[in-house]
Amino acid sequence: MSEPKKLRITAAGLRGVVGRGLTAAHVLDFAAAFGTLLEAGRPVLVGRDPRASGVMLREGVAAGLLACGHDVIDLGVASTPVIQHAIRRMEAGGGVSIGASHNPAEWNALKFFGPQGTYLSTAESNELLDIYHLRKFAFAPWNGLGALRFETGALDAYLDELAGVFDFAALRRFKVVVDCCNGTSALILRRLVERFRLNFILINERIEGVALAHEPATNARIASLQLAPLIRPLEADAGFLFDVDSDRVAICTEEGTPLSEEMALPLIADYQLPKSQGRIVITNLSTTALVEEVAARHGGRVIRVPVGRQATIDALAAHRPDQVALAGEGTGAVMMPQFRFVYDGIASMFAVLSMMRERGCKLSQIVSGYPRYSILKGELPLISKQMPALLMDLQRQYAGGRINIADGLRVDWPDRWFHVRVSQTEPVVRIICEQRGDPPVALFESLLDKVRSLT
Amino acid sequence: MPRREHLLKIGVSGIRGVVGDFLTPSLACAFAQAFGTYVGPGRVVVGRDTRRSGPMLQHAVCCGLLAAGCEPVDVGVLPTPTIQIYTGHTRARGGIAITASHNPPEYNALKLFNSQGLFFNTYERNELLDLYHQSDFRQAGNAETRTVRWDYETPAGLHLARVLSHVNGEAIRARRFRVALDAVNGAGSRLSCRFLETELHCRLHAISVDPDQPFPRVAEPRPETLSELSALVRSRNCEIGFAQDPDGDRLAVCDETGRVLDNDDVLALAVDAVLRRLPGDVVVNLTTSSAIDDVAASHGRRVYRTPVGEANVVEMIQAVGAAIGGEGSNGGIILPAVHLCRDSYTGMAFLLDRMAETGLRVSELAARLPRYHRRFGQARYEHGRLGPLMQALEDEFPGARADRSDGLKLELETGWIHVRASNTEPLLRIAAEARTEQEADALFGRAMRLVEG
Repeated sequence: MSEPKKLRITAAGLRGVVGRGLTAAHVLDFAAAFGTLLEAGRPVLVGRDPRASGVMLREGVAAGLLACGHDVIDLGVASTPVIQHAIRRMEAGGGVSIGASHNPAEWNALKFFGPQGTYLSTAESNELLDIYHLRKFAFAPWNGLGALRFETGALDAYLDELAGVFDFAALRRFKVVVDCCNGTSALILRRLVERFRLNFILINERIEGVALAHEPATNARIASLQLAPLIRPLEADAGFLFDVDSDRVAICTEEGTPLSEEMALPLIADYQLPKSQGRIVITNLSTTALVEEVAARHGGRVIRVPVGRQATIDALAAHRPDQVALAGEGTGAVMMPQFRFVYDGIASMFAVLSMMRERGCKLSQIVSGYPRYSILKGELPLISKQMPALLMDLQRQYAGGRINIADGLRVDWPDRWFHVRVSQTEPVVRIICEQRGDPPVALFESLLDKVRSLT
Repeated sequence: MPRREHLLKIGVSGIRGVVGDFLTPSLACAFAQAFGTYVGPGRVVVGRDTRRSGPMLQHAVCCGLLAAGCEPVDVGVLPTPTIQIYTGHTRARGGIAITASHNPPEYNALKLFNSQGLFFNTYERNELLDLYHQSDFRQAGNAETRTVRWDYETPAGLHLARVLSHVNGEAIRARRFRVALDAVNGAGSRLSCRFLETELHCRLHAISVDPDQPFPRVAEPRPETLSELSALVRSRNCEIGFAQDPDGDRLAVCDETGRVLDNDDVLALAVDAVLRRLPGDVVVNLTTSSAIDDVAASHGRRVYRTPVGEANVVEMIQAVGAAIGGEGSNGGIILPAVHLCRDSYTGMAFLLDRMAETGLRVSELAARLPRYHRRFGQARYEHGRLGPLMQALEDEFPGARADRSDGLKLELETGWIHVRASNTEPLLRIAAEARTEQEADALFGRAMRLVEG
């Protein structure tokens, strides 16, 4: 297996291991490209997660944007959702979030947002990439450069928006344990606790730039490390785990059971669909089929799109906002229309807590109301040139199922499905199988064998 | 070769250019990362003058320094000498001043200092340039990346205290001098007001001391650009007027009548004042007035001559342990006891000190200087013509003593001629000096005829 890639420059932006792949030169050129793409006249917001390298990236982003004549407003250490909300509220021309989210500490990345805090469309992302590669930037003359100022009010304004949607006073009854993974969620929740006197217990709440307490992924394995064992001794009602920039969440029940990362989306769909005018849930092809079952209970329907944020964004853009109840993926990343379709782990957490309060149920009771699904996930080294043949083979072999070739191959049967695709972030083939009830071990093993047999 | 405008220069003296399509943030960032790689991980002082492009370039420079594992210390808007003194005092790894000095406002540049706060020497500059071109930068990972620190308090006080320790502040304060100031809205705007008003109790009449406004005049403080200062001196009945360039290293002076003194005379006054207080010799460049020799001789001191360029003067000052040095034509006064850099504050302090000590006016002090007359000019030349031209000049003045260390300097009975090629443009610079106007005109005319012939 080849060494994992240290730098990725794609339509989704710039991401890499700082110093080994991602350098100051990349950052400056990407910022200048974004400064060239954006229309002049409105400031651009910049925020970062607490990684140590974030200041280096911030300096580069500021220089590139200022050089293109944009004023820059620095929000300091701020989560991606806080930045996105601030863009709309401050009527900024766009924004840049500096942070590698669920990647390890040595990584960093730039994410770009347009006016209203929206993710860039595919066309805009591709244009950004073209400008970057051409390196013909629209630098302003010496007397037309932008100015930078700092802004500290973005967090409170974001909390005001949350308070407008969720009844914090009613949520004080819950004792909640949160693993902040030394990230931006600690800043948000500390302030929330202070302002709304919520009964939250924070762990790994020290803002940390280098040594994260654990890998910043939001899944059941990480949730079981430090969060889950605390829940019963503390007699907490729920536990939540965030990644560094708090756009994703993982959940533990009051019994101390970490839920599969697949559970956040169906849970919130169950809460959201009865409240929402929209009937559509957008998710990707690798996410649990429980979403369909929950949606069906509320007369909703699911639109499946290829894996990756961009496909979800494009699907959102293809519908009227009021048609969509929810979008998200089986990684704990969920976005709701009340929050203008921004991946937001904090909002997701409050949706789950609000559902517990409104139904008067413990979290484990809500979860036990869903049928059991078992999902198996694996990955194997990619042999790119063999992929088309492999997918054709599988398509022939499983011709009895419903075939979807939008992203690799997904085959569906009434009670189970599998998805074989190439990762966008690592040189691997991902194999995912799910079955209502017990795990589809035989199917999973035969798929793994099939991929292993490639040479 | 056709004449080109130099909108970007990357060379041994660093990086300089017109901001926009030429001096880009990417270039500044890469150069700073090369610098950070060269000086090693540690603190690097970063300051700037008041140019509009300063903040943008400062972010780019900090980005490059952080990427190299350095810890930038932002000192904000400050004169270049202040940044140099602070760099040396705090034993930082190095310093970067973001300033194009006396160049027009559309230009900017990076001035680079070593851990002593001195300009890089020739060898250091060449090594840095090679590093930049090879793009072989130190790349700090997340764990080695530092953050930007600030120190907006210490540097100014440090600089002024050093300057004031060499003059009789009590005597200056007692006089409550009426002083006019033109700081060109540059990096000295705030510091000069504090220095003259708060520290030296002068009654200050200042113009162009708003660092947020653009340069109101040609950035280089030359007699023909300082009419506003002259008018201010006259209308406010000031005893002296000072003018700075945008980064506060160069000084021009006008007397109580509003007449702007010749820069060579300002240097001569400063040399005279300093030699009264400090032991040691004098270093000036080849184009500086012979008045310096007379002043030094009156104190029994020696004058060393160097090729034109601040770095050359500084190196010689270090080598011979001189008391003072400078370059006449560009208003640079270097007092090593303060720091080995051009410093307008040192010049201001010693002139006021001399006025306080003698009770004389500036015009009277200047009138006591040995009288010389100078002529300056420049001419285009073709590469390849230089050698024959220099030889023809030497042949034209057979009795003269010739110095070939920087172009050609010919010393005659009546005065001297200095002809040298610019390092940056295809230009010859011609200077002549003599005791009388007629002799100066005659020497200059003969040289120009040969050069233009």
